[in-house]
Amino acid sequence: MEKTLYQIFKTFFKVGTLLLGGGYVILPLLQSELVDKKNWISDDELCEYYALSQSIPGIIAANTAIFTGYRLRGTLGAISATLGIVTPAFISIILVARILEEIINLKFIQSIFWGVGVGVLILIFLAVKEMWRKSIVDKFTCVIFFMVFILSSCFKAPPATLIILSIFIGLWLPYQNKIEHGGKE
Amino acid sequence: MIIYLKLFLEFFHIGLFSFGGGYATLPFLYHIADVQKWYTTKQLSDMIAVSSITPGPVGVNVATFAGFSTAGIQGALIATTAVILPSLIIIIIISKLLEQFRHNKYVKSVIYTLKPAGCGLLAAVGVDMFINNINICGMILLVGLFIASITEKRDPLFYLGVSALVGLIAGFFNLTG
Repeated sequence: MEKTLYQIFKTFFKVGTLLLGGGYVILPLLQSELVDKKNWISDDELCEYYALSQSIPGIIAANTAIFTGYRLRGTLGAISATLGIVTPAFISIILVARILEEIINLKFIQSIFWGVGVGVLILIFLAVKEMWRKSIVDKFTCVIFFMVFILSSCFKAPPATLIILSIFIGLWLPYQNKIEHGGKE
Repeated sequence: MIIYLKLFLEFFHIGLFSFGGGYATLPFLYHIADVQKWYTTKQLSDMIAVSSITPGPVGVNVATFAGFSTAGIQGALIATTAVILPSLIIIIIISKLLEQFRHNKYVKSVIYTLKPAGCGLLAAVGVDMFINNINICGMILLVGLFIASITEKRDPLFYLGVSALVGLIAGFFNLTG
């Protein structure tokens, strides 16, 4: 199938619509749309974009879409993919937000939200578990985890400050030859 | 006008500094609730619930929602654009330099320290949400979901569906507190 900007937009619009319950299902969705159905990129490429998407800032599902869009048609492709993945989210939230004010005080809606809130906690727990598995590879990363955790939960440090702090630690590390790191690729 | 600029800057900084996917934007959104007072933490937890069960990446949904509740449609548009813009810029640059990027020791080292930091931030939000929202009945549901999660890898929608259903039933018996 031809890789026009409109086709890219349409493909990611479809993927964006099917994304429910978090961005974690983006990889299988993109595999089925881009690799199996359209044959636009290879499975290896897609997996690499997914891995890269996790090591840069931003929302992983959106990042993967942007990488793929860029690979297909350069900067304009990246923009088309972004618009495609964001538009369903935008439309659905605007629609729901408008009616939410009307229904938020209904008791059964509150009960459902209460339940979903507990469900989200489990999803956060699973996300932390998965991130832990990928990121805590030695004592040093474990120290960073607990440092950030304590500064954030006990001292309410702004998240951006903690991220910038970690960036500086990361830039300073290569000067400390004693510390072996980054070995797991 | 000034509110739009503030919205743009807040959400741009979320897009730039959140590591680890959609839920990684939550620490920043809670921080905004504390500092800017655009919405309360209770409103934020409703927004997170809605965002989890509507189409689209959770991070985009919740940004759109927070923007909407702060400044209407324009607010939603600005917040969504701002949260995604850093990704777009960074990826366009990285794609051009993919080979150098992959093997640079500083890049590797920064990724090595950023990942545990993103994980720590999200864990802190999880603990915070747990302390503020969970009563006895929620605890029972949570333990049930936890057991379900360790026995088998399941779709996120499974947890959300089961919890919504349990919430509905618990609400009927006035157990949601």
